[in-house]
Amino acid sequence: MHELSMANSIIETVLNEAKKRNAKSVLEVNLVVGKFAMLGTEQLRYCYGLLVKGTPLEKSKLRIEGEEGRVRCEACNFEGPIHLEQEPEYHIMYPTLQCPKCGGTVEMVGGRNCFIKSVKLRA
Amino acid sequence: MAKLVKHDEGEVFDIELEENILKANEDAAAKNRELLRKHGIKAIDIMGSIGSGKTSLIELLVQKLKGKYRIAVFNGDLTTTIDADRVARHGVEVVQINTGKECHLDANLIAKALDGTNLDKLDLIIIENVGNLICPGEFRLGADERLVVISVTEGPYMVLKHPFIFMEADVVVINKIDLSQAMGVEFEKLRNDVNKVNAKAKVVGTSCRTGTGISEVVEALQIDNLRRQ
Repeated sequence: MHELSMANSIIETVLNEAKKRNAKSVLEVNLVVGKFAMLGTEQLRYCYGLLVKGTPLEKSKLRIEGEEGRVRCEACNFEGPIHLEQEPEYHIMYPTLQCPKCGGTVEMVGGRNCFIKSVKLRA
Repeated sequence: MAKLVKHDEGEVFDIELEENILKANEDAAAKNRELLRKHGIKAIDIMGSIGSGKTSLIELLVQKLKGKYRIAVFNGDLTTTIDADRVARHGVEVVQINTGKECHLDANLIAKALDGTNLDKLDLIIIENVGNLICPGEFRLGADERLVVISVTEGPYMVLKHPFIFMEADVVVINKIDLSQAMGVEFEKLRNDVNKVNAKAKVVGTSCRTGTGISEVVEALQIDNLRRQ
């Protein structure tokens, strides 16, 4: 729902980097978006496309890589993918903070990020 | 001095960035938390659906606790001061935060609100987030406790449709339980759904209309016995 402001932050960050390095244009932006970040990649792409017009990013390619949800359990030291539970009544899968190994409650350690991994610039 | 290598005109080069876009908010939240801790203030972030009873819950919490603690309430909404005016009637300090178009409060807005508040004169800050079960979960504000309010009038699917915000919650309030029968929505079912997603969250059923469950909310938030500075 806040894809527009996120796209704006991404573009600002890249523009700063390009300026710092005297680049004339940005060819590629490689973004990592956690599957548990509340960001729709479709909307993010759309907003990005709107905002780059007239900037050195105008012709850039936005590549988005998903980051899986990862959890860690304090009790049994389990670290791995977040557990998905099946709800038979509504036929949906939902994530749970239950440890798949010991049944305790886990902390999320991955999958909520949104970061720019790298950019390709043209001098 | 560092060696300087310049790119030729038109040369293409890759830069590793690892620039975290969401981290800016996490950092601002950590700063808020530190500031609040320094002043011995406990802060609660109240999130929840539109019309679930966030403001009503805050009014009841304020009524119950204002004799005991010095309280400020920050009300987040896109526009208007309706909620802030409602809470201000109870004689506590109120700050209205209008987000304009944003669907959530963020740590930066809270930092601004904290900046304009005399923190030496407070024990408890209650923050009412923008009504929304999606975005507020993602933006931590620096509060000690995160509470999510939903109500039985929203139907039986609210929790499993929005698991992420419930994963973030320390306390979940299921409001309007006096209407449970009329709605055909069971409190127990919703409570089970919350605990399936997040077994650590404390779930309390309330009716802000009758006052049922408010003491249990205070207990769950661990604000029944704040140490006065």
